[in-house]
Amino acid sequence: MSIVDTGDSTAAVVQDSVARPRRTVDRVLAGNAWLVFLFLYLPILVLIVLSFNDNDRVGVWTEFSVRWYGEMFENSRIMGALRTSILVAVLSTAVSTVLGTAAALSLERFRYRSQRAFDGLLYLPVIIPDITMAVMLLLFFVQAFDIVLLVTGVGLSRGLGTITLAHIAFNISFVALVVRARLSGLDASLEEAAADLYASRWQAFRRVTLPLIAPGVAGGALLALTLSLDDVVIAEFVSGAGTTTLPVYVFGALRRGVSPLINAVSVLMLVGSILLVVGSLAISRRRTGG
Amino acid sequence: MIEERDVTDLQTAVEPTAPATTDAAVSLHGVTKRFPGGKGSEPVVAVDAIDLNIADGEFFSLLGPSGCGKTTTLRMIAGFEYPSAGSIRIFDEEVGLKPPNKRPVNTVFQSYALFPHMTVAQNIAFGLEMKDVGRDETARRVAEVIELVQLEGRENRKPKQLSGGQQQRVALARALVNRPKVLLLDEPLGALDLKLRQTMQIELKQMQEKVGITFVYVTHDQEEALTMSDRIAVMESGHLLQVGPPEEIYDRPRTRFVADFIGETNLLDATIRDHGIAELRDGTQVRLDSHEPAGTAVTLAVRPEKLGLVRADADRNHDLDAVHGTVARATFMGNAIAYEVRIDGGSEPFPVEIRQGNAPGIEHFAVGEQVRVRWSPSSASVLED
Repeated sequence: MSIVDTGDSTAAVVQDSVARPRRTVDRVLAGNAWLVFLFLYLPILVLIVLSFNDNDRVGVWTEFSVRWYGEMFENSRIMGALRTSILVAVLSTAVSTVLGTAAALSLERFRYRSQRAFDGLLYLPVIIPDITMAVMLLLFFVQAFDIVLLVTGVGLSRGLGTITLAHIAFNISFVALVVRARLSGLDASLEEAAADLYASRWQAFRRVTLPLIAPGVAGGALLALTLSLDDVVIAEFVSGAGTTTLPVYVFGALRRGVSPLINAVSVLMLVGSILLVVGSLAISRRRTGG
Repeated sequence: MIEERDVTDLQTAVEPTAPATTDAAVSLHGVTKRFPGGKGSEPVVAVDAIDLNIADGEFFSLLGPSGCGKTTTLRMIAGFEYPSAGSIRIFDEEVGLKPPNKRPVNTVFQSYALFPHMTVAQNIAFGLEMKDVGRDETARRVAEVIELVQLEGRENRKPKQLSGGQQQRVALARALVNRPKVLLLDEPLGALDLKLRQTMQIELKQMQEKVGITFVYVTHDQEEALTMSDRIAVMESGHLLQVGPPEEIYDRPRTRFVADFIGETNLLDATIRDHGIAELRDGTQVRLDSHEPAGTAVTLAVRPEKLGLVRADADRNHDLDAVHGTVARATFMGNAIAYEVRIDGGSEPFPVEIRQGNAPGIEHFAVGEQVRVRWSPSSASVLED
């Protein structure tokens, strides 16, 4: 990094460029920054403000009220969708965190045949479009259920289970990605040292590896939770009649027109996401800071 | 790294090779390690059928350049690698295929491998906890070993808060607290600066004498090996070239590689003429402690400090041992002067390095001066290759 190495001279150059009269460029850049912020946050602000509007029609401001929040909490379909969302998110996060961490460990610590191929395939769900993933999964479930019906005579239907499975399927990749980044920075001789000090494989993992990759595991889990709560496309495809997650409900409601009730639901989801992000930042900061 | 084990290799490894019962602390018999090569290529032989007995209580060094197989050998004794063939015994117990946690040895790692999320005391207590020796016993032994390595007052620090030398002591304490039958050390001083390294060399040696545990020490630093070891094994390309006490390795190197790797040396081509007489390339005859038959081509190795210089016109009663030459370079080294002398005659003149003490009264020579180089017959080693 030449910027660091050259030290004083670079500092002088930087000061120079600040002092030189390049005001117009600076102003344009500063203005651009403000525009970007505005572009990003104005819609959110509008959403929050309008969610507190008393009027039935979205675009007309009457007065401040928490009426829509009240209606939201009393709406059994919304609350049902929220429960489904949370259940799916928690279940899929729990399973994908365990499987994703295991996948990361096997890729990082062991050498075996076809490892490369497995490596590439594992990360495929990260790059393929949601819609492709959704179609794939739908096809898969339809075929699989047909076979189950044929073989056992048991008729399965899509619903909570299929959404959870679908979310596990893509979340494993994200968890593995995050945990692996953490693992690769870990000295492999630490595990050898644990084994050398009479720890079994499990004890070495439990006492040495896991505590050291915990921030990565927690980060991966939070990412999985967020992705699961956010997902519309895949859940829309693989959910059956009667099972709806919150984003899918919002998506459906929007087709019937924007209602202030949807604004309130959106704000609820926004607050939930922000809490998750703040939580993950807090965890990673506490870990690296110590 | 855990690699796939070759089933056929395992067969040969478990096969009782019936090594004679010994009282050795560590006994290697035909130990071989092959690593799978790249796609379609031959496996790489890192350690090639070595036999080695390390006595109880010995400070034993495996010395060689990087890639010679010394670390792989140590890792096989520790259990981090399994031998492709051969038997590894620790106090007469076959351990070749046992996992590291089932072996009565402990390791001090090159990188120390201290657990960063545990304090010094927790790091040291780890092995005792895994062995379940009980709370009181653990506390007592941890305190004891902390005193041994002089880390009192730092029990609750994290490894990151310690200097390199202190971390090294923690690594040592963490291994010693388990009272292993054999302690394995993988270049433990490599990360320290020169001064600290020299202090630690002496401390390590003293500690080994105090605890009486067999040390197996891996290093590429010949000076380190010479200073500390009771015996040294010099390795190259997976083979043991020579095993013996430091004096023997230094004074009586058996091969060109050992002579060259340990310290500086002069290699002189010669042909045996008569019993105990060899002729150098320039035609000079020198005496030898050797019983090779006449006509054999040999290489002589003589250490620079075993060579003496006299003026060409000085008294000639040592002629049999002396070769004539010209001083090509003289370098002042403080306690000594290093000369490079070109030996004349023969097909081509060749340089010889000489180190002569710098005490008062010792003659100094100028560049271009005609000299004779002498040595005693017992300080020339006849190499096997």
